[in-house]
Amino acid sequence: MSVIKEWEPKILVFTCNWCTYTGADLAGLNRMKYPENVRLVRVPCSSRVNPQFILRAFMKGCDGVLVCGCHPGDCHYVSGNYFTRRRFMLMQRLLEYNGVDPARFQARWISGSEAAKFRDTMIRVSKEIKALGPNTKFREDWYVKEAIANEPSK
Amino acid sequence: MSRIGVFVCHCGSNIASGVHIDKVVEAAKLFPNVVYCEDNKYTCSEPGQFKIKAAIVEHRLDRVVVCTCSPRMHESTFRKMLKGTTINPYMLEVANLREQCSWVHTDKDKATDKAISLVRMAAAKVNENTSLFPSKIKVTKRALVIGGGIAGMQTALDIADAGHQVTLVEREPSIGGKMVMLDKTFPTMDCSACISTPKMVECSSHPNITIMTSSEVEKVDGYIGNFQAIIRQKARYVDHSLCKGCSDCMDACPVQARNNFDLGLGKRKAVYTLFPQAVPNKAVIEKKGASPCKFNCPAHLDAHGYMALTGVGRYEEALGVVRRTTPFAGVLGRVCFHPCEENCSRNKIDQPLAIATVKRFLADNARKSGKLGKIAVTAEPKDQKIAIIGSGPAGLNCAYMLALEGYKVTVFEALPKPGGMLKVGIPDYRLDKAVLAEEIKLIEDMGVEIKCNTRIGKDISFKALRGKGYKAFFIAIGAHTDSKLNVPGEDALGVVAGVDFLRESNLGNNPKPGKRVIVVGGGNVAMDAARTALRLGSDVTVLYRRSEAEMPANALEIDHAREEGVKFEFLAAPMEIISENGKLSGVKSIRNRLGEPDAKGRRSPVPIPGSEFILGVDTLIKAIGQKVVQEDLTAAGFTLYDRWGNIAANAETKTELADVFAGGDAQTGPATVIEAIAAGNKAAKAIMNYLEGTELPIEPYLMPEATVEADELKNVPRAARGRMPMIPIQDRRSTFKEAELGFDEKTAVAEALRCVNCAVCSECRACETACQSKAILREQEDELITQDFGAIVVTTGYELIDWAPLYGEYGGGRYPDVITGLQFERLVNASGPTEGHILRPSDQTEPKNVVIIKCVGSRDENKGKAYCSRACCMYGAKHAHQVLDKIPDSRCYVFYMDVRTAGKGYEEFYGRTREDGAMYLRGRVAKIYQEGGKLICKGEDSLLGKAVTVEADMVVLETAMVPSPGVVKLAGILGISTDPDKWLNEAHPKLRPVETNSAGIFLAGTCQGPKDIPDTVAQAGAAAAKVSALFSNDELETNPMISKVIDEKCSGCGLCVGCCPYTAISLQEIEERVGALRVKRLVASVNHALCQGCGACAGACRPGAIDLQGFSNRQLLEEVDALCL
Repeated sequence: MSVIKEWEPKILVFTCNWCTYTGADLAGLNRMKYPENVRLVRVPCSSRVNPQFILRAFMKGCDGVLVCGCHPGDCHYVSGNYFTRRRFMLMQRLLEYNGVDPARFQARWISGSEAAKFRDTMIRVSKEIKALGPNTKFREDWYVKEAIANEPSK
Repeated sequence: MSRIGVFVCHCGSNIASGVHIDKVVEAAKLFPNVVYCEDNKYTCSEPGQFKIKAAIVEHRLDRVVVCTCSPRMHESTFRKMLKGTTINPYMLEVANLREQCSWVHTDKDKATDKAISLVRMAAAKVNENTSLFPSKIKVTKRALVIGGGIAGMQTALDIADAGHQVTLVEREPSIGGKMVMLDKTFPTMDCSACISTPKMVECSSHPNITIMTSSEVEKVDGYIGNFQAIIRQKARYVDHSLCKGCSDCMDACPVQARNNFDLGLGKRKAVYTLFPQAVPNKAVIEKKGASPCKFNCPAHLDAHGYMALTGVGRYEEALGVVRRTTPFAGVLGRVCFHPCEENCSRNKIDQPLAIATVKRFLADNARKSGKLGKIAVTAEPKDQKIAIIGSGPAGLNCAYMLALEGYKVTVFEALPKPGGMLKVGIPDYRLDKAVLAEEIKLIEDMGVEIKCNTRIGKDISFKALRGKGYKAFFIAIGAHTDSKLNVPGEDALGVVAGVDFLRESNLGNNPKPGKRVIVVGGGNVAMDAARTALRLGSDVTVLYRRSEAEMPANALEIDHAREEGVKFEFLAAPMEIISENGKLSGVKSIRNRLGEPDAKGRRSPVPIPGSEFILGVDTLIKAIGQKVVQEDLTAAGFTLYDRWGNIAANAETKTELADVFAGGDAQTGPATVIEAIAAGNKAAKAIMNYLEGTELPIEPYLMPEATVEADELKNVPRAARGRMPMIPIQDRRSTFKEAELGFDEKTAVAEALRCVNCAVCSECRACETACQSKAILREQEDELITQDFGAIVVTTGYELIDWAPLYGEYGGGRYPDVITGLQFERLVNASGPTEGHILRPSDQTEPKNVVIIKCVGSRDENKGKAYCSRACCMYGAKHAHQVLDKIPDSRCYVFYMDVRTAGKGYEEFYGRTREDGAMYLRGRVAKIYQEGGKLICKGEDSLLGKAVTVEADMVVLETAMVPSPGVVKLAGILGISTDPDKWLNEAHPKLRPVETNSAGIFLAGTCQGPKDIPDTVAQAGAAAAKVSALFSNDELETNPMISKVIDEKCSGCGLCVGCCPYTAISLQEIEERVGALRVKRLVASVNHALCQGCGACAGACRPGAIDLQGFSNRQLLEEVDALCL
């Protein structure tokens, strides 16, 4: 009997090395459980994340992207997460304008000691995005499909 | 094509139990560029590492993916391992299969899928890795310690003992900080000075320590190992290489200044050492600038200086201070319009000091006691002859100054008596001419020749004088002719000029004005003419075209004139002089109203049509201004005038003729005596420069004005200005006797002691005379010293919170017997203001009931600070112990919120204090008020739930610690951060307590947060150890995972510059070839030693020109792509 695999979203989480990545490691040490569909990409600071990376993720088929860093004021690099906050408030509005649900792209502050917060955030975000279904905006393969469908017949 | 090796770790069963390792290995083998994959039980173990190394050789791998635990755990382990191989250590990526996969997922299949995905991401990323090489930076093995308290001293000593150079910078004139202010230290009660002064001495004698006191760090550039600091060595006005610390200067100094070291409980001199055991034991002078009296004096007389000396009864020295600028102490004391008094800071609280009258006292006192003496000329006699035309205040002062320098001076005077306007302008009732004569005699005694009855143009000419060997000329002929009224009938008999009238009177020619006299004008000449005419028996009316408020005459002169019976007609101007039979009979006048203010802000008079009226008059005196008499000079061959008819000369008194100088009324138009004196002094300097070819400053040395705000004077006791005694009013109306009698000694001294010492140093220069080493440097200026350092330790310490504005209920600073804990320390300290006796500051009596209130400003979010200041519970207990110990039959009440005694021997000490009899009451004091010499403290005992009232003799507030003032500025200079309460931030509250987030900058002591002495010293040692560890390397390896700019892509927009929290990025000019041209443009450039590798710049760069090595755009995009597969 073949089991139809349930659809799982692909969720990309950019985490800063000093807070959220550490928090995620702590969640592991404490054997906290969260969905398998989240993948972490480690960056030194949340401010390293270029908006281009997020667009690329959506293009390549990601269903949700998170940028996580230290709490404002606690940045390991003094002020990096303030840039993150500004940059991605704007980014979120821009994406929303283009029809991407704001839940698909979020910025979160999780410190190195907040393992439970990390787990809870991952569970909630995973659930939200799963409920939203696959992302259709910006997707490379969808554009290709559409382009083929709309090609005028010769 | 790269050759990637993937090594999957079981981690015992940690990974293997959650992930199918075999499936991961199989999958990994199919990833692009992966040429080898194997699994290991424990990859991090020595056999595991050996297997990787072997595989690298065997399969010619050029990059490696290790699939193990978190990279935060073992990334550095594997990097180190790669150092011994052919692969660069940065050709490594770690896939986190344990903390972020096997441990957090339950479904093994799904976890395996995720693991494969993670390995794919790592492999994709590593494919884009490049070899990175750390660069080396040299370490300057010299540490900068900022703050010379116990933390700074200990840090400096520990670093110096490790063999490194230390520069210890301290803002105050001595190192020692707060600890030397304390009396005893808890819990052992050992004497604070006894344990901290040896440290101070050790610092000063340590060959590796350079102490810079009175210094502040102005600017810091650079990075770990290579800081460059600019330190401002503030002017101390004493040459420390010459000062022996003998205190002769302090004995000589007349100024009683606030003793900041005793927190205002005692006094010290303006030249001082911070405390007797100061290190370095060298004097410094506190100068806040030039006192307003001196600053605003046109001649910059050292008014503060002679006031200070008068206050301590040193009248001869005080007179000497005046004579540095002018010999005319008696004259100026009588007639000066004293801008010094107008600008006196006491105006802000009560009345200004009677500075001029004190000066008059100095001269009168010297005359009375026969000590007017002679003014000695110490300079070498010089051959050059100088001619001065006019013997008024400008001419005579110029002669005086030149004579002091040894020049041969001849003064030519047209009138039969010398003195100019002083002699012929000012009436005798204002200036006793005997005083003038004596002061002119002083000048003559110095060798100045005064030739009277010698008129320029008639008796002498410039050509003739040059022929006689005169090398320079100073024209100071004054303004001796009147301005015209310009009304019909002005030439009638009976119309006289004010200056002519006064001249006649002053030369003893007894002018006889008619019965009815009208004086036209509102200046001082008008007042002098009016009061002179009054004394000659006339009825005098002053006609002035504006109102009294606009009168240019001195207000006191107007009052005196009115008292004597002079009548005033304000807002009236003459239109026509009416004569009958060629004799003056009346003056037709018109009423004015005040119009719009003119350019100078004075409201100009506007005639009211139809308001004409006629006043009967026998003599009309015009006193509406004076002019320079040009005829004589023109005849003598001098023709340079400005458009007002004054002699044309610049601010330095130079005319267009190189050897001719001009000043005083002749150059400026009618002005004041002190302005003429200033001009004379300037001319003397200008002439000396001309003769000697020097370029000495023309103006006397002057610092910026030291202004004192009313707020700073709120605790100064109010004292009324001394009253000027005068002769009876009937004598004033009928005789020319001096109206004002001057101060007696008692009044003069009391007046001088009202001085609030605005600039602190009075510039009396008594110290210069007293110092046998000639160490006083009166005109010293701040010096900027640049030095290189490898590490910086900040030990700037704390300050007590300014409780007064916050706690109105405790009197807000109004009650002198409500003091702070630190003030109590000074009271109880044997070297303090009371020599160790606990005495109330208000009446110097011993308090019996002492209330100690803790947590004033601490743990009080509403008024002060939320935090606990940590040391107060213990020193509160110590103060209670000291009260009970030192004052027999005393009682001590301690109001507390909690008692926190965490520390070795602390709780025991608190227990002993209670056993001594200290009454601890849990609760806050809600109000303190004064009643019959007692301070009534109303509070609450919250354990009993009862209101408590204590009648205290003294209240000690244990106030909160706050960061030292200026720490925010320093943090900005250093690029380190502060918390919301402005304490400096440590890099990690537990694991990196003495480091900051800026590499190479460390913290110790209370600049980081409130703490007691043991903790401070421990931190100091820790910071020194960190510095020593840093200095144990000759070179430092930098993290190569930093930003890098691709010049070709960079547009030079500078967006990255603002993103960088480490100021590591700057725009720099490059030259590149465009076609056949070479062009210059700006591109971003990263300082590899400053960059910490956060990547904020890379996130902001639009063209992608700046990239973070190790986390490059390509690496991260590959990772994202791999994730989505």
